[in-house]
Amino acid sequence: MALSFTRIFDNDWVGPGLVSLAAIIGISIFQPSFLSPFNIFVLLSAISVNMVIALGQLVIIAIGQMNLALGAFGGLVAICFVAIMELYGVPPILATVIGLAIGALAGGLTGFVIARTGISAFIITLAGLQIFKGINLGITEAQPFYGVPQSVKDFGNLSMLGPIPWLVLPMIIASLGMWYLFARLRIGRYILAIGGNRTAAELSGINVTATIIWAHAISGLLAAIAGMMLVARLQIGQPTIGDDWLISSFAAPVIGGAVLAGGHVSVAGTFFGVVIIAIITQALVLFAIDPFVVQIVLGGLILWAVGINRLRELRVAKFNARTA
Amino acid sequence: MTDTLHATDNFMPEQRRGSAVMRLALSNELGLAVLIAIAFGAFAITLPGFTSPFSLFTIGRQIGIDTMIGLAMMAVIVTGGLDLSVGAIGVCAAMVFGFLAQKMGIPLPLAAPGAILFGAVLGFINGYTVVRSGVHSFIITLASMSIFFGVMIFLTQAQSFNELPASVQALGKLRVGGMVSVLLLITLAVCAALSIFYRYTVLGRQMLAAGANPRAAELSGIRTGRVIISCHMLTGALAAFAGLMLTARTGAAVPSMAGHLGQDWLLPAFLAPVLGGTLLSGGRVSVVGTLLGATFVTIMTSGLLLMRVGEFWILACLGLMLLLAVLADRFRQQVLRARGMI
Repeated sequence: MALSFTRIFDNDWVGPGLVSLAAIIGISIFQPSFLSPFNIFVLLSAISVNMVIALGQLVIIAIGQMNLALGAFGGLVAICFVAIMELYGVPPILATVIGLAIGALAGGLTGFVIARTGISAFIITLAGLQIFKGINLGITEAQPFYGVPQSVKDFGNLSMLGPIPWLVLPMIIASLGMWYLFARLRIGRYILAIGGNRTAAELSGINVTATIIWAHAISGLLAAIAGMMLVARLQIGQPTIGDDWLISSFAAPVIGGAVLAGGHVSVAGTFFGVVIIAIITQALVLFAIDPFVVQIVLGGLILWAVGINRLRELRVAKFNARTA
Repeated sequence: MTDTLHATDNFMPEQRRGSAVMRLALSNELGLAVLIAIAFGAFAITLPGFTSPFSLFTIGRQIGIDTMIGLAMMAVIVTGGLDLSVGAIGVCAAMVFGFLAQKMGIPLPLAAPGAILFGAVLGFINGYTVVRSGVHSFIITLASMSIFFGVMIFLTQAQSFNELPASVQALGKLRVGGMVSVLLLITLAVCAALSIFYRYTVLGRQMLAAGANPRAAELSGIRTGRVIISCHMLTGALAAFAGLMLTARTGAAVPSMAGHLGQDWLLPAFLAPVLGGTLLSGGRVSVVGTLLGATFVTIMTSGLLLMRVGEFWILACLGLMLLLAVLADRFRQQVLRARGMI
């Protein structure tokens, strides 16, 4: 009994899931409007976009690296997406495909440089952040594009069913895709293996270079999806899209139990990490607390989650030592 | 194996093989100095006004500030870690300075050291958390950058202190000999002090040793935890110093002076040390290299701006420069290894 109880709590998503549930119940007692259909709609829209962003970082954390350029990818794709629709009249479906291609290409290129040179992902993606952001601002001169077609605006602001926005759709597809990737696909297993122990992975015949390029291309693809979702939601092509992704893209996976050294991630845990962040951000607004506090809370959440993960690691180590 | 070799590289340079001339030729410092000379010469010939006293003054001032930001990051790269919160610390310290000088009316000779001390305290918080938790400094300082900046914005309500004593702005405008900024001279003095610190003081040597090989350092009796915390404190103090210099340039303490969360400092902070040959894996610093790196970046930026290249494209150029710098460094190491010099 005691053992199965511990087992349940060893699942990455249980802790964050319980915290989310408690937060929803707690806040709705004090503030019944929290569960109004409109508020749920707003909350789900925010969760959808942030989940895709977090997944973009998750796949890089899984391989034991970090991607500072995630927001720059998203911003560049968002701008190109609107620009080709406005300037060349490209239909939205085709523009979406082109946007996805740009994202995957930018990510793949970054991955290629990291894999081939062996230089730390931190410094390469820092350079990438600057390059892609510079191209973004060079194209737009910091002015937004306004020519977003009505169909794209509708996708970002209409509901699919009751309080459920259409934006949930890409989030669900991306989440299921990533879960399938890590649980069933060979490339996902390779990514986790390299994150867990790169040398061992290399010795067992995994093509490390190709896998790193794949991981970064997937990250770029997810950033592209998130960037275009934001265009649909904001209804304009803002050059500032992606500027504030860095902190939250790390916070959600870490709250969801991802090990930063790589090799261990949880898609479900990340989802609840995103939910917790969204609820807290919303609660601060509902209770009319200074919006600047959000930054402090986000930083605090990361530290808290890192501490919890660390404790769990130590507990597992102790347990293993006892049973061995 | 590479770790041990690497450590000897720092402490017993005379044991390295290869001629001194060859080593110098392949060093970052000489390469950078040549690049600086070429860039400066090319801009001086093609761009009228590039060598005017005022232009030289602003370039020098910018070199002073960028070098200080680079030194702040260098001080923590020594440990093999990094500090994403340098920008946040710099702005926080500048705001504390503004509060002390403007609101409390504390005289500047007390307010400035107070702000630098405050930066060191924030660095201590980073270092203590990193050492005690055992979590990589990337994630700790990612969190602390959000917290420091958030608290600062919350307390100041995003308002700047723009009624500082006139002498603050006067310092930023002060020129020696018509073209040399006082801020540049201050930075040069700090560079000299840091060079002596890393070369001749016990703590400085311990920082290098702990960065090169923490286990070996621990075994030889260095309390690595404390040393790493002091590295973070040094980073905090230097970041605060850079924040104060920026305040002197603008004449006001502005919460947005390093961008959202202080992220705008990240590129200059890494660019200068990496160009200058500081190893990201820790254990090796080059104060002169950082100075030269910042000089090169500033000259390129000023030249490109004068050539009317859009400032946004310059951002992309700087990113490209960082990429080329690390690639060149990788190549240089391969050459050195092939010749048996490392």
